[in-house]
Amino acid sequence: MGKRDKLEIIRDILKIIKNNHGHIKTTPLLRKSNLSSKRFADYKSDLIGRELIFETEDKNNGKQILITFKGMEFLEKYRTIINFVNEFDL
Amino acid sequence: MALIERILFPNTFGMELIYSFVIIFCSLIIYFSTKEMYKISKYPGIKYFRFSFLFFALAYFFKSFISFMLVFLGFHGVLEFISVFLGVVTLFIFMYASTMAIFYLLYSVVWKKFGDKKYIIPVLHVFVLVISAGSLFLRSAWTIIIIQILLFTFIAVYNYTSYRKLSPKKKTGSIHLIYLFLFLFWMLNLSDILVSGFSPFFEFLISLASIGVFLTILYKVTRNVGSL
Repeated sequence: MGKRDKLEIIRDILKIIKNNHGHIKTTPLLRKSNLSSKRFADYKSDLIGRELIFETEDKNNGKQILITFKGMEFLEKYRTIINFVNEFDL
Repeated sequence: MALIERILFPNTFGMELIYSFVIIFCSLIIYFSTKEMYKISKYPGIKYFRFSFLFFALAYFFKSFISFMLVFLGFHGVLEFISVFLGVVTLFIFMYASTMAIFYLLYSVVWKKFGDKKYIIPVLHVFVLVISAGSLFLRSAWTIIIIQILLFTFIAVYNYTSYRKLSPKKKTGSIHLIYLFLFLFWMLNLSDILVSGFSPFFEFLISLASIGVFLTILYKVTRNVGSL
């Protein structure tokens, strides 16, 4: 598998959360995303800052990461964004 | 030949206005239609691409404004025009916006090679501001033209190399070829306003070709973002 670019990694992280009914714990997300802990932490704070995901904590489930409406929108439009980036060599 | 040109192109300023309007319109549609895509992705390449067309819109607006001033206030060329304050300001914005448009478009395709360093864009702005002010201070349009020729040469080599790497199927309508034409016609536009006036027929050909290039880019953009 070739090196993933930033958009692809974001898509993968969001897809993992979406396929897990929209929420997942941090540790399985880190494992499934195939990133180092440092890179994962960078992506996590970046995605929270961009309001694509958010973190919540409750007594029963502990810390959970959830996908936002904007995150779902990113997944929907990912193909269009990639086609545009490729077409204009951006 | 001059008589035929006068009959065929009696109102070159009117033509210039329509031409500028079409290009400004195309550039602004490109800028605004990609807003949503940038908002979702925050992808740097899309940001530089959008800014390039915003600056193209500004550059073409000030180009037609300068032409308007030259025609209606009776100035004989840009050197006379910069003797008044309005001339200095409009020419400064025109040179700054046009050079930044080219820098942004170039950076939109090469930014990955630099790793999106945050200081590059502010440095480019300062550099272009200084060069534009210097050109006006020295009363020489050549400084800005030489910078743009150097940029154009770099872009030509880069685009040609990228174009050659494409498969024969992808070569038709490739963006690298379109960018090459865009810069070529822009250089002709710039020379026309800063150095000497071309013949109306030649101006007409440049205008048509430039409109063709902008419409092609607009078509490619709307085809992609249409579903957004």
